Amino acid sequence: MPLLSSILLTPVITLIILLLMPQKAVRGIRLICALSGLLTCVLSLQLWMGYDPTSGGIQFEEIIPWVAAIGISYHLGVDGFGVILVMLNSIVYFTGVLTMWDLEDRVKEYFAFMVLLVIGVFGVFMSLDLFFFFFFYEIAVVPMYPLILIWGSGNRAYAGMKLMLFLLAGSALLFPGLLAIYHHAGLNTFDIIALSAHTFDPQFQIFVYPFIYIGFGVLAGLFPFHGWSPTGHVAAPSAVSMLHAGVLMKLGAFGILTVGIRLLPEGAAYWAPTFVVLAVIGIIYGAYVAMRQTDFKFVIGFSSVSHMGIVLLGLNLAILGPVVIDALNGAVFQMFAHGIMTALFFSTAGYIYDKSHSKTITDFGGLGKQMPRAVSIFIVAGLCGAGLPGLASFWAELLVFLAALKTYPIAGVIVILGLVLTAVYILRVFNLAFFGAPNPKWENLKAQDMSGLHLIPRAILIAVLVIFGFVPRLMLDLINSTTMAFLGNF
Amino acid sequence: MDTLTLILLTTISPLACFIIAIIFLVQQPRAAQGLVLFGSAVSLLSAIGLLAQGPVEPLRFLWFQSGAIQLQFGFILDGPSLMFGVVVAFITACIMLYSIGYMAHDPSKTRYFAMLSFFAWSMLSFVYAVDLLQSFIFWELVGLSSFFLIGFWFEKPEAAGAARKAFLMTRVGDVGLFIGILLILQLVSNFDIPSLLDPQTGLSTQVSPGILNAITLLIFIGIMGKSAQFPLHTWLPDAMEGPTPVSALLHSATMVAAGVFLMIRLHPLFMAAQDTALIVLSIATFTAILASTIAMVDTDIKKVLAYSSISQLGFMLMALAAGSLFAGVFHLITHAVFKALLFLCSGIYIHAYHTNSMAEIGRSGGRRLKATTIGLIIGGAALSGVPPLAGFWSKEEIFAQLGHNGFNIYMAGAFLAAFLTAYYTFRMIFLITKPDQAPASDHSHPEPLNMKAPVLILTLGAIALGFFGSNIAHGLGLIPQHHSVILMIPTVGVVILGILIAYLDYGRDNAPRTGFISKIAPLNTLFTNKWYIDEVYRVTIVAITHALSRILHWIENHVLDGNYDRFGLGILRTGVKSTRIQGGWMQLYLGWAIILLAVVALYLGLQ
Repeated sequence: MPLLSSILLTPVITLIILLLMPQKAVRGIRLICALSGLLTCVLSLQLWMGYDPTSGGIQFEEIIPWVAAIGISYHLGVDGFGVILVMLNSIVYFTGVLTMWDLEDRVKEYFAFMVLLVIGVFGVFMSLDLFFFFFFYEIAVVPMYPLILIWGSGNRAYAGMKLMLFLLAGSALLFPGLLAIYHHAGLNTFDIIALSAHTFDPQFQIFVYPFIYIGFGVLAGLFPFHGWSPTGHVAAPSAVSMLHAGVLMKLGAFGILTVGIRLLPEGAAYWAPTFVVLAVIGIIYGAYVAMRQTDFKFVIGFSSVSHMGIVLLGLNLAILGPVVIDALNGAVFQMFAHGIMTALFFSTAGYIYDKSHSKTITDFGGLGKQMPRAVSIFIVAGLCGAGLPGLASFWAELLVFLAALKTYPIAGVIVILGLVLTAVYILRVFNLAFFGAPNPKWENLKAQDMSGLHLIPRAILIAVLVIFGFVPRLMLDLINSTTMAFLGNF
Repeated sequence: MDTLTLILLTTISPLACFIIAIIFLVQQPRAAQGLVLFGSAVSLLSAIGLLAQGPVEPLRFLWFQSGAIQLQFGFILDGPSLMFGVVVAFITACIMLYSIGYMAHDPSKTRYFAMLSFFAWSMLSFVYAVDLLQSFIFWELVGLSSFFLIGFWFEKPEAAGAARKAFLMTRVGDVGLFIGILLILQLVSNFDIPSLLDPQTGLSTQVSPGILNAITLLIFIGIMGKSAQFPLHTWLPDAMEGPTPVSALLHSATMVAAGVFLMIRLHPLFMAAQDTALIVLSIATFTAILASTIAMVDTDIKKVLAYSSISQLGFMLMALAAGSLFAGVFHLITHAVFKALLFLCSGIYIHAYHTNSMAEIGRSGGRRLKATTIGLIIGGAALSGVPPLAGFWSKEEIFAQLGHNGFNIYMAGAFLAAFLTAYYTFRMIFLITKPDQAPASDHSHPEPLNMKAPVLILTLGAIALGFFGSNIAHGLGLIPQHHSVILMIPTVGVVILGILIAYLDYGRDNAPRTGFISKIAPLNTLFTNKWYIDEVYRVTIVAITHALSRILHWIENHVLDGNYDRFGLGILRTGVKSTRIQGGWMQLYLGWAIILLAVVALYLGLQ
C-alpha cells in the first residue's frame, strides 16, 4: 500500500470502525483513536525519513484517474512542505486524542467528527488535484461547527455560527477563483502539477489572486478577516482548539502557497506589497489586542493572529524573488512550530479550564503554587510564543525577520519590535494568573495537577519544540531543498 | 583528556543536572542539590583543565543551512573565554555551596538548584560560543534563567513584577542586538566570530564605517539592556527581589557580565567603529556616575550593591570603549569576585536579621558576624579601589587607559565615579559596623560553615586577584604595561577622599549619619528618587503601550468585529422580516398579486 494513501486511510478506517462501535464502548473508542493517531505518527515519521531531500520536489506520488471527462484524478504527492505538515497533523491528532481522554459526553460522536476533520486536513496536505484539494478543505472545515456547538463552552452557538460563516465566505471566494483557474487554463484538468506548468495571463493572475489569497487567508487568520478565529478558539473544546489553531489555520497558508503562489506567481508578486502590509499590521495588531484580553483562550487566539501573520509575511516576501529563500523556509518552519506551540497552549489552557471551569485570567493568581506542572507547561508554550531561542519558533521567526529586513527594512524593524509586544502580553498572563499570591479559591486544584497520562501529550509537544529548537537542521534540510525547487519554478 | 571532551563536560554537565533534577528529583530536593553541586564541580574542573591547556583553535560543527546562510555551532577557546569560563564556573560553584545554607528551608529547593544549573549552562555556553548567533541564543537563555531566578519567589508580587521588568527591559535591548546580528548576516552570510574579527578579511574591512557604526551601535543596545546601562538599567535594582545568592550570581559573573563579555568578544569591531566607541564611552561614564549617586543615598544594602554593579559595569565598558581590552577583562574578573563576595555577605546579614536596611543590620549587631564583616570590609575596600586589593589594580588600568588616550572629560567622570564608589561603599561599611546605638542582646546564629566557606574563599580572591593582572594580560596575548607610581596618586587620592568623607558622615563618633549630599536638597531628592527614570518610563513608554492596546482592542470589538456582527445580524433580520411576506394570510398574497400585476401591466402599457 502506498504510504500517502495509508496515512490518509488510517483515519478513514478509524472513522468507519468508530461508527460501527456501540455508543457505550467509551474506552474502546478512545483506545482506537489513540492507536490510529499513533499509527499516523509512525507512518508520518516513515514519510519524513523516506523523503529524499537531495532530489527535492514532489515524491510519493499516486495517481488514480477518477472523472476523466473533466480531468479529476485522485492525485497524491508531497514535497518537503507537505511532509512537514503531514507530520504536524499526525502529532496534533495523536496528542489531541490524548488531551480529550477524560471526555464523558457523547464520546463516539465527538471522536467521529474529530477524525473527520483530521481526514480533511491530511487530504489537503497531500492532494495534487485541485478538486480533491477543495473537497478535503471543506471536509476539514465543516466538522468545526458541530464540534463547537455540542462540546463547546460559553457563547458557543454564536462562535460556531461566526466561524462557519467566515470560513464559508472564504470558500465562496475560493470556489469561483479555482473554477476560473481551471477554465482559463483550458487544459481540462484539475491537476495542480499540470496547471502549474501552464503560464496564466498576467492580467488574469492579478485579477484572480486576491480571491485565492483572501479565500484561503480567512482560514489563516489574515487581518482583517481574523475575527472568527479567537472567538472560535474560546468556545471550542481544547482538542478542537488544538486542531483548529494547530493545523486548520495552516491549511489556509498551505492553500495560498500551493494554489496561489504556485499557480499564479505573477499575480502573487503584484499583490505581495499590499499583503505584506496587512501581514505586518496583523502581527502588531494581534499582539496589542492580546494585551488586553481577560480570557486565556482569547490571548492565545490573538497570539495566533499575530503568529500566523509571520507565516503570511514570510509567504509574501518569498514571492518577491529567489533572494529571499529564507522567507519561505521561515514561513513553513513557522507553520510547523506555531502548530505545535498552539497545540501545547490550548491543551494546557484546556486542562486548567477542565479542572477549574474558569478561563478568566484574573480569576487566578499564584496558580504556579497550586498546579506547578500545568503552569510550567503553559510557560514553555508561552516562551515559545515569545520566540525564545531553544524552542522551534525562534528559527522560524529569525528566518522571516531576516528576509523582511532584506526586502522591506522598515517592516522588518517593526515586526522585530513586535517581539517585545509578544513578551508583554505573555508575561502579563504569567504575572496575573500564575505568579503572585495564590488565590485560596483554587486550593482544591492542588490535588488535581497534571499527572500520569495527562503529561504524555504535553511532553510529546514540548519534546518536539525543543528538538527543533536545538536541531533546526532536521527540518531545514527538508524545507530548504523544497524551497529551492519551488522558487526555481519562477 | 582532549579538548572536545573537556569543553563538553564544562558546558553540558550543568545542563544534564538541570534536566535530571527538574524531571526526576522534584520530590528529592537533597538529591537534586547534591547532583547540581556535583555537576558544577565537574564543570569547574573541566574549565580549569581547558585553561591549563591554553588557547587552541576553535571547534566548529555545521548547525544548519538555509539558502546561502550557513550556521555553525562550536566553541571558541581563546584567552577571554578560557579565563572567564573559569570565573563563571568558580563563582557559580561558590554560590551553589552557599545556597545550601541560604535556601535550606525553602520548599522549592529542587527548582532553585535546577535553575542555577540551567543558568550556569547557558552562561558557560555563551562564553564559549564561536558563532554570533549561538552567542545570541545563549544570551537569551541567560536572560530567561535570570527571569526565573529573579522571580523564584513568584508568590511575592514584587518578585514576579521584578522578573517581568528584567525580562522586558533586556528584551528591548535584545531587539537592537538581534537587528544588529541580522544585519551582519545580510552583509556577510556568516556569523563565525573569529572570521568576523579578522583584521584582514573581517567585517570591518567589508563594510563602510557608517554601517559598521550602525551595527555596533545596535549591538550595544543589547549590551545596554543586559549590562544595565542607562537608560535600560532600571530592571537591575528591582531584580534584588530574587534570593540573595541569585543576586550575587546575576551581578558578578553572569547575566550583567554577559553584556560586557559580548563587548570583549567583539572588541575589534567596536574599535573599528569610532563613533560607537565614543557613544559607549559617554553612556558608560554617565551610567557610572548616575548609579553611584543613587547608591550614595539608598538605605537597602542590596540596592546599594545593585547600583554599585551598574556603576562598575560602566567602568568596564569605559575601559573597553577607550581601547583597553585588558583593563575591561581585568575589571570584569576582579569585580566578579568582590561583588559576589559582597552579595554573599549581605545575604548572611539578611538571613540573620531579616532586614535589608543597612542601619537596621548595624543596630542588630551585624559586626558580631566576624567572618562576614571581614568579608564585607575587604570586599568593600576592593570595590572602592583601596590598594593593594583587586579592585585597585583593575581600576587603575582603566584610568591609565583613559589618560593614555586623552579622554580627559571621561577621565574626570571616572574619577568622580570612583570617589563616589569609595564614599558609598564605606558608608555601607560604617552603617553596619558603627551603629548609632549599641546592639541589643545578641540573638543571631553564627554563620553556617557552608555559607562561611564561600565568603572566605572569595575574600582571599578579592585580596590576591589584583596581583594576577600580568597573567591575565598574558592570557589575552598582551604585554602588560607597568605604570608609574605618580599616575597612581590621583587614583588613590579620590579613594582616600571618598573614605574620609564617608568616615566624617557616618564613621566617626557623633557622626551626623546623614550624607553630605543632603545639604543640597534638589540633588538629594533627585538621587533618592533614582533620577525619576522609572516615573518617566511610566508616563511615556508604558502609558503609550497601554493606550495603543486599549485603542486597538476597542477597534477590534467595535469596528471590526462589531461590523461583522452587525452585517451578519442584519442579514438575519432581513430574513426574519421577509418571512412576513409568507404569513399564510390570503389577503396579503392577493394584494401582492394585484400590485405585481399592476406593475407588469403598467410596464407593458408604457411600452
